Amino acid sequence: MLATQIEATGAQAAMPRKAVPGAVAEAEEQQQYLTFMLGDEMFAIGILSIREIIEYGDLTEVPMTPPFIRGVINLRGAVVPVVDLALRFGREARANSKRTCIVIVEVNAAKGRQEMGVVVDAVNEVLEVSPGDIEAPPEFGAHIRSDFIQGMGKIGGKFVVMLDVNRVLQVDEVAVAARRGSAETAVV
Amino acid sequence: MNLDDALHTFIIEARELLEHMEEALLRVEQSPEDADTINAIFRAAHTIKGSAGLFGLCHVVEFTHVAESVLDLVRAGKLRIDSELVVIFLAVCDHLGVFVTQIVEGRTPDAETNRVSVELVSKLSRYLGPPQRGAAVTAVAAPEAELETEAGDGVDTDHWHISLRFGPDLLRNGMDPLSLIRYLGTFGKIVNIVTLVDTVPSLSALDPESSYLGYEIGFSSDADKATIESAFEFVRDDARIRILPPHSKVAEYLRLIDDLPQSELRLGEILVRCGTLTQAELDLALARQAASRDDASNPIGEVLVEQKLVQPRVVEAALDKQKQVKDNKAAESGQIRVNAEKLDQHINLIGELTIASAGASLIAQRTADPELLEAAARLSRLVEEVRDSALTLRMVEIGATFNRFQRVVRDVSADLGKDIRLVISGADTDLDKTVVEKIGDPLTHLVRNSMDHGIEAAELRLARGKPAHGTLRLNAYHDSGSIVIEVADDGGGLSRERILQKALACGLIKDDQQLADADICNLIFEPGFSTCEQVSNLSGRGVGMDVVRRNIEALRGTVEIDSTENVGTTMRIRLPLTLAIIDGFLVGVNGSSFVVPLDMVVECVELTPQETADSQGRDHLDLRGEVLPFIRLKQLFDIAEAPAAADVDDDADDEFDSATARKYNGSGHSLLTAEGAAALARDPELEFLLHPVKRENVVVVQYAGRRSGLVVDKLMGEFQTVIRPLGEVFNGIDGISGFTILGSGKVALILDVQGLVRRVAGGESRRNARASNYAIAE
Repeated sequence: MLATQIEATGAQAAMPRKAVPGAVAEAEEQQQYLTFMLGDEMFAIGILSIREIIEYGDLTEVPMTPPFIRGVINLRGAVVPVVDLALRFGREARANSKRTCIVIVEVNAAKGRQEMGVVVDAVNEVLEVSPGDIEAPPEFGAHIRSDFIQGMGKIGGKFVVMLDVNRVLQVDEVAVAARRGSAETAVV
Repeated sequence: MNLDDALHTFIIEARELLEHMEEALLRVEQSPEDADTINAIFRAAHTIKGSAGLFGLCHVVEFTHVAESVLDLVRAGKLRIDSELVVIFLAVCDHLGVFVTQIVEGRTPDAETNRVSVELVSKLSRYLGPPQRGAAVTAVAAPEAELETEAGDGVDTDHWHISLRFGPDLLRNGMDPLSLIRYLGTFGKIVNIVTLVDTVPSLSALDPESSYLGYEIGFSSDADKATIESAFEFVRDDARIRILPPHSKVAEYLRLIDDLPQSELRLGEILVRCGTLTQAELDLALARQAASRDDASNPIGEVLVEQKLVQPRVVEAALDKQKQVKDNKAAESGQIRVNAEKLDQHINLIGELTIASAGASLIAQRTADPELLEAAARLSRLVEEVRDSALTLRMVEIGATFNRFQRVVRDVSADLGKDIRLVISGADTDLDKTVVEKIGDPLTHLVRNSMDHGIEAAELRLARGKPAHGTLRLNAYHDSGSIVIEVADDGGGLSRERILQKALACGLIKDDQQLADADICNLIFEPGFSTCEQVSNLSGRGVGMDVVRRNIEALRGTVEIDSTENVGTTMRIRLPLTLAIIDGFLVGVNGSSFVVPLDMVVECVELTPQETADSQGRDHLDLRGEVLPFIRLKQLFDIAEAPAAADVDDDADDEFDSATARKYNGSGHSLLTAEGAAALARDPELEFLLHPVKRENVVVVQYAGRRSGLVVDKLMGEFQTVIRPLGEVFNGIDGISGFTILGSGKVALILDVQGLVRRVAGGESRRNARASNYAIAE
């Protein structure tokens, strides 16, 4: 586990840190993906939006928010919200294991970039996927909202859902959900 | 010197000066005799003109010059400043502001701006009286010129003669002779110019940074001597400048020739070349000079005396000017301009320091080493002081913001045709700068609203037995960790019936809804609400009040209305003092920690099982005969019972992991010897100390005069804390105002007491409404 983590962060460090020039260019150039597990399903996220991977722990719950917002963590002095991806996709919540970790990703927000944590059951590895091996998302059948899917990558002979983190963790949407959650509890 | 930087400074300065000018103008209207105020206005105009000249902003110079000339008349007591003049000058102020904005945007004045310029100049010129030898000659200048030229014997030329010998440091001081000469060109015509190169040394001895040149200038202008002198204001100290008016006496030219180091003959020639003297006049002059040297009754002496008659005024004015400049400098030297970003960074660092210090104290407590504890205590005290002083760096007095409203009130009352006076109090109340910047707009809206809708027309006021002039009060004061800003008027107050009617018409409320008075007043903050049928110029379009509330809430503040019909309305804005750091009171609910702003905490009491039983399941308790409603945080936040650790030892501090908890308790118990424990066990009254029971505490909080309780498990004491904003994701959650990081590195939530109360009260009233609806349905 630890080895994967180091490998993942190492691969990230090796990536040239430059401004993302645009979605098209990003799609063409970006070939490295981090794969991770939610339950038995494998997902992938483009490595350019990943900042780091940290151990799960010391999470503070925020009351009056929807369940998929697990809470907040202290990331070197910054307070970062943490989202449970499984719950966001409408899957069952699972108990934390030793392999549970938080992937810190950077997403677009109204006021510049916003860091967010994503709870995953386990991270696997960083893979190179050539653009030719990525298929368009299916209209249905993936059991998650199709706008969350950037593409279907062929990894090891199997299709893996490549997530569009900017859609999955769209700040406005998550925030609206947070507020709605707060309103609901108020009525009760 | 980077010119852009300098221009930037000019812009900042100009804006400040305009602000002062406006303030002084409003003051002078009340006390037209106050020389200090008039001088302040003049000084502001004068400085703007001077600095604008340095940047070659001719349009600003020309415009300001006219205004300055009028102000000069006022200053000399030849013109009385009245409200009409104040109106013109306020317009001048605004117009200069427009100029400055255009400079910022890098635009040259457009046609509209020029039109306003011409209009204002023509208005101002009326005060300058009929033009004598050109438009800009002031009444002051005229007799002076006469005095200097009266005794005949004058030369024929009708232009000024300026003789310049700059000091060697001119260029080093950032001045450029060329720009000065160009500046002269802005209010006159340079007829002739002769450059003197005598003092330029050989190339080997030449210092490129020194100025060696001298100039003799023939200058044709209608400007007065003071204006021409002012062109050289910045170089006067280390330069020899002689200015001779048109038609001066030959003798004066002689004196000039005498004064200057160049050989007489040469200088004479130069004067001829400048066109200042004709050859014949020069010959005459030199002959007289030769004669005078033999003669004891020195005619030049007489000239000198005469010259003195003229000069004292000029000298006095110059000294006065210098003194003012010095005064200004003294006032400014006490202050440093700091980049706001740097300051923010500094305060952020201090925030980190506070957290680090809290962490260190925590560790010191765990080790229970007295020396370390003492050191940690000393450290945290110092950090606290540093924090407090750092926060005051951001604090500014609200007075400046309030003073801006003098103008608003003045203009709006003129527009409305109402006589309204503004009374300001609490102007020295400190407030965070970011808050001050953002409070201006909502405050303006409230002020306008009060004037437009609140204060009645004079006839109605008299009919109601009030004085004909309305009074608007702006007040500010500190109250339990927040600042309160009040906008109060003695007008008609809010008509609850009209609000209700309107709210019904807009569909904001339902027919059978029963509302408390305060709730009715708050309806005006709903989007799209306005009681005024006719749309006025100022307010009443139904947009605004909701924006006001939103803006204030964005600052973590609240606004409330206190209104009595026919007596007046008070709008009370309550804002946090600072957005960065608060003193917090840390409480624990099961495993979670929460921070309550310490300023709100009144006391802590125990919630005994007895009291819980007495309240019969309702959420209030008897606090010394008072009913105190309370909120059970555990229920509201739906916090699960802490895991096993809490069962092992109720007293364990769940904030630490179990290992630390053991250590913590271990050290606690070590204070108690076995003998002591035995003694305690024997004493029935103290025995309970050995068996701490799980008990609940009520933190009594006060907000806006109301008290309520928060039921928590543990009280963990005071804690300085840096507020981390909620961020975009959590913004808008009622009941939480921010995050903070505890010494242990864990994140805790800062409770927004008012939001919590609102949330719980809202939930209850909805439940009650549902219950009563069922009752009706049945």
